[in-house]
Amino acid sequence: MKYAFFQGCNIPARIEQYATATTAVLATFDIELVDVRAFTCCGYPVKNVDEKAAILPSARNLAVAEKEGLDIIVICNCCYASLMKAQNVLTSNTELVEEINTILAKEGLQYTGKVEVHHYLDVLYSEIGVEALSAKMKYTVKDLDIAVIQGCHVLRPREITRFDNSFVPRITDALVNATGAKNLEWQGKLECCGAALAGINDQLSHDLLNEKIEGAKKAGAQYITPICAYCHLQFDTTQPNIAVQPGDVLPVLLYPQLLGLCLDIDEQHLGLEMNTTIQAEQVENLKSTLVTPEELTKKKKRGTKAKQPA
Amino acid sequence: MSFTILLWLSIAVFLLGIILRFSTWFSQSIDPNDVKGEKTSGKKIPLGRRLAKGVSGTFGVVCSTKIIKVIQSFFIDIILQKRILDKSIYRWLTHAFIFFGFLVLLLSHAFGNFTFSLFGSEYVSTLNPSLTLRNVFGLLALIGVGMAVYRRITIKKQRFTSYPSDWTALVLIAVIMVSGFLLEGSKISSYSIYESMTYDYGMLEGEEAKALEAYWVAENGLHSPNVDTPVPPDLLETGRQANEWSSCIQCHAGNTNAFVSFSIAKAIGPMAAAIGDAGVVTFFRFVHIIACLGLLAWLPFSKMFHIISAPLSLAINRVMGKESDDPVNALNRQLIGLTACTHCGACTVECSSQMFYESFDNEFILPSKKVQYLKKIAAGKEVDPRTRKRLQQGLYICTSCDRCTDICPSGINLRDLFINSRYYLLNTGAVETSMLSHFSFPLSLLHTYVPKHAHALHKVQNLFEKTFTSLPGISGPLTLSKKQEFDSLRGNTTFKSCYSCQRCTNICPVVRRYETPAEALDMMPHQIIFSLGIGNQDMALGARMIWKCSTCYLCQEHCPNGVELTDIFYRLKNKAINAIEAKEKK
Repeated sequence: MKYAFFQGCNIPARIEQYATATTAVLATFDIELVDVRAFTCCGYPVKNVDEKAAILPSARNLAVAEKEGLDIIVICNCCYASLMKAQNVLTSNTELVEEINTILAKEGLQYTGKVEVHHYLDVLYSEIGVEALSAKMKYTVKDLDIAVIQGCHVLRPREITRFDNSFVPRITDALVNATGAKNLEWQGKLECCGAALAGINDQLSHDLLNEKIEGAKKAGAQYITPICAYCHLQFDTTQPNIAVQPGDVLPVLLYPQLLGLCLDIDEQHLGLEMNTTIQAEQVENLKSTLVTPEELTKKKKRGTKAKQPA
Repeated sequence: MSFTILLWLSIAVFLLGIILRFSTWFSQSIDPNDVKGEKTSGKKIPLGRRLAKGVSGTFGVVCSTKIIKVIQSFFIDIILQKRILDKSIYRWLTHAFIFFGFLVLLLSHAFGNFTFSLFGSEYVSTLNPSLTLRNVFGLLALIGVGMAVYRRITIKKQRFTSYPSDWTALVLIAVIMVSGFLLEGSKISSYSIYESMTYDYGMLEGEEAKALEAYWVAENGLHSPNVDTPVPPDLLETGRQANEWSSCIQCHAGNTNAFVSFSIAKAIGPMAAAIGDAGVVTFFRFVHIIACLGLLAWLPFSKMFHIISAPLSLAINRVMGKESDDPVNALNRQLIGLTACTHCGACTVECSSQMFYESFDNEFILPSKKVQYLKKIAAGKEVDPRTRKRLQQGLYICTSCDRCTDICPSGINLRDLFINSRYYLLNTGAVETSMLSHFSFPLSLLHTYVPKHAHALHKVQNLFEKTFTSLPGISGPLTLSKKQEFDSLRGNTTFKSCYSCQRCTNICPVVRRYETPAEALDMMPHQIIFSLGIGNQDMALGARMIWKCSTCYLCQEHCPNGVELTDIFYRLKNKAINAIEAKEKK
């Protein structure tokens, strides 16, 4: 299986490890991600200024994938939402399709709408499946508490994203649970990281971010696992930038990095040390939480034995 | 005017130009910290300090292990031109053909005497290897020019347009090559040159002289009025022997070695003879010399200056990467970069924001266009306010993906150049409404120029407050309007379904942040929907709530009656910006 890999702008420039880890994880399941250089920005950043101007870039990207004959796989939630939104708008607005196609025709592209857009979590969950995922895992993690922040734009508005139940999402939970990590229930899980206000109203953006950091810490999180590229940058770049005490940060662990550890993928692909909030010793600790299925059963047995005398 | 005078004149212009360009490296800048006119007075870094830092920085590199990177850069970036190779083989071949074609001709032909003396031999233009080399490399350079022209024509569909100066450079190189071939061709075919050569060097008379001439006609491309073709084999053989006896062969390898010029000689021989071959030779020599000297004189003032600045820019890039540790040298680097741009269009073709150019109809969104214009800003030239505003918008509508910086074949740090230029213009120029977009997000991550960003943002906010009246600013009774402006919300009339449950406001994470949200936000989400319901859109446009919306879509998702709040907010934001832009234009 092959997908056109839509990385957007933030990931190649600032979160390369998200791309390499995802590519390596999916390669384990014979899914190839093709780097398409002709892709450009999804259009999301311009929405506040001109919503219509945000549709055209997405339409072009979809047309590029169409020319390549590939469906698209996306990591960033905002890219995902933009592509889905464009598709949604263009299915009902033939006039706009014509207008856009006139522009695209200049470079030999055409939008017809036949490309499918997939979030990588959906590919893991629906195409590969949790069972197959578990079957390939050499390790699971033990005693690792993580707080997932789902990111707004993959869930909402549900009519556009059509990703998961937007009130009680299950996909990410199922995927995280498969690794053995304890997936904490906490208030910020489905809420905003503040990224959309960064640079527009920094104070409010930082407030929203700090609220999430505190919430996750309070729930006992050892790591925060952002799904969206924007969330990641809020936690991994802005968090240390604004931390009251330097170094007092909640480290970021991306889902494909966690999954990659369980799949025993070469660490250089996972790029854990590229997360600015993660320290070398934390990486070691993280690795020490990995247990093979045999060890896990032994530990369980030992645990039950130890309990017996009491 | 004799050749020598022309030569020295063009060398003088060349040197003067080089000095001028060098001086701009250390005197010009686009420095956000050097902003005049506002409350802060600009603190321009004096030329002496710039120069001193540049010298000490260079010295620091040369005297450290970093010199290895410079050497690497010389081989990988300059000789191998890897950055172009990474982009496309076509572009690499194009550039390599022109670059090596020109370089070899310069060394083996223009500086032939000097180059050959290095190898302990003498430069004889009519002997091999010179005869063949000239033709091979001249042809390569011409093919390269042809490929470049083709690329510049076809790249138009990717939103890149070439400037007259781009064509001038290609035409000039082509004229040099073509006139060189024509000169050589006309000399080969010229009977008057043959006559003067045999007069000076020949010792043959009668039949032998005729045989030699016949041989040169048949084998060496001479066009003679005395020889009928085809030349009989026995006469040709006699001529061949005469060519050897009389030592012509010592200075003349067969002209077929000059395979391009030989064909030209065959083609233009009769015509040149008809016009007067001596005159034709003189004319082509004149064109060739003028074109060569013209290029020399024009070089420092044109994009061809990149042959000096691009290698430097590439070496700096390899040593320092995208970060510049010293702020003064960062400015020096910026200006070296600006002079290293060849307007090749690589940045524009790969620009992540290229589709915004189609929507905003602002060519300054394309990086190559920005760079060209920023040269004027750096030089402190007057720019009319309208152009300046468009440039500012073009600079702001950038996703900060750094692709342009990563791929620039001249190794220009476009990222820093554009960020500096953004804040330079923002702090001196007009209000920039696109600051309210997510293009601000990467800038906030960078955490540089924080006060300048806040200052520019404040200007936008002030303008909003002046343009719209917010709810707390209204003293009289609210008006009801029958005619609702649905069209401006692009048909989103879901606000009509609101039945006042206020779930949106109750779930809003932004409202939750404030103890007295009404004061901080002017209106809460449900109130904005109410105001649309009573047809008072202006009030909604003036509410700070729309700019504090985190676009998390929780309100919209939880609305029991399908009011698309977040989408409506986006439309209100678009409308507010349009209104302000329209007002600004007036």
